[in-house]
Amino acid sequence: MTETEEKADPPAVMIEPIDISKLDPDFREGIRSMPNGEELSACFACSTCTAACPIANTWKYKPHQLIRMILLGMREEVLSSEEIWLCLTCFECQERCPQNVRVTDIFFDCKNLAAEESMIPDSIVGLAKELLDKGQLYVVTADWEREDMDLEPEVPGLSTEEFKAILKGTRTGRIVGGDE
Amino acid sequence: MPSYNLYMGCSVPANYPNYETSLFRVADKFGIELIYMEGVSCCGSPNLRAIDYMGWLIVNARTLAVAEKNGHDIVTPCNGCFGSLKDVYHFLIHNADYREKVNAELKKTGVEFKGTIKPRHFIEALYNDIGIDEIKKKITKPLDGVGIAIHYGCHLLRPKDVTEFKPEIFEALIRVTGASVVEYPLWKQCCGATVLPVNEELAIRLARDKLKSMKEAGAVFTTVSCPACGNQLDLQQLGLKESYGEEYNLPVLFITQILGLAMGMGDDEVGLEMNRVPADPILKHLSG
Repeated sequence: MTETEEKADPPAVMIEPIDISKLDPDFREGIRSMPNGEELSACFACSTCTAACPIANTWKYKPHQLIRMILLGMREEVLSSEEIWLCLTCFECQERCPQNVRVTDIFFDCKNLAAEESMIPDSIVGLAKELLDKGQLYVVTADWEREDMDLEPEVPGLSTEEFKAILKGTRTGRIVGGDE
Repeated sequence: MPSYNLYMGCSVPANYPNYETSLFRVADKFGIELIYMEGVSCCGSPNLRAIDYMGWLIVNARTLAVAEKNGHDIVTPCNGCFGSLKDVYHFLIHNADYREKVNAELKKTGVEFKGTIKPRHFIEALYNDIGIDEIKKKITKPLDGVGIAIHYGCHLLRPKDVTEFKPEIFEALIRVTGASVVEYPLWKQCCGATVLPVNEELAIRLARDKLKSMKEAGAVFTTVSCPACGNQLDLQQLGLKESYGEEYNLPVLFITQILGLAMGMGDDEVGLEMNRVPADPILKHLSG
């Protein structure tokens, strides 16, 4: 080791201090009561989920941090984070969790809570609109292509009315309706 | 011979009639009856699950309930549809309170989810109900020595307690054609299709990682069982020329196209001209 005359700068702040007054003590139970959220509190912060995630290196909050933030009650930060929307839903984190925390499913729960508060990326609102208008994500446009392949030009049995009617009465309807 | 309810979803019929037609021709070889489902449409995709869990449960429970009427299992050629249907099936079987809530809504449309039939991916039905021995008998143009990298797709494999799909199934269906399965480090990794709406750059990077890993392991071409994965790996190769200046020339074929070719079907019968990256290596092999 070489000695230097100059003193090192004080260490950079690695983590922003958490403002305890902003924590929501009910957040953890809220997530636990949502689909596949039961195992949430089994997390022992080993960060295997983060190691398994193919894109966590680009995230400000890593998967294991998001789980910890939920446990601490950092509702606002989690629900407004862009990470939950960037989740590939590839389930690699969930598959490898040694504690059986259903990490990907929990991020789906977070997105549903964010959606309830209208915190949804515009592109996803656009998709919701498509689903409600067309009753499907993709619509057959090149029916001649289908005929070329010896298929019926229109998809046999396809009916979008029931699908649209269902989503009109659920949150999708409220998300899209609120936009108009 | 087995009959199934065929759930097409929206992407295959709209974007990949080559997958649809090769699916029917392969099924036909084994006397499999595929019945297009009546009165159904989209599964909603993971996007619907993200913003409207209840709506996602109801539309998919409805599809399952419609299939229960004739008692045949559902088969689908799409990993996304399979993932949605299987996840909803699994969830409702294990959560009585949600099952009640969903059924209260379904009652208005005149159906009820009971959980009496299973949603399955077509290739799993082919493997388990027809079997490798029977498939082997139909292989007339073996793909001996061709190295194929399998992209399984996330929603076919995971979560494994939900999908109950074993990767060996896909491998056996490739090996039965005489081709060899090329192992590559990123075999489990996502193709990036799901983040396309929120971050295109990231989606392209993920497709590149995949293609690079396959190519470096010596794959001559790659196979998929999902229109979204197929789109991502095939179409993005054109984009990668622009964004990264890289050419992979790795043809991406749907599993039923490969099976069809190995069963002696012509390239027009499996719709090979619709695949964007020209499938020359495999055609050269077949004619050679």
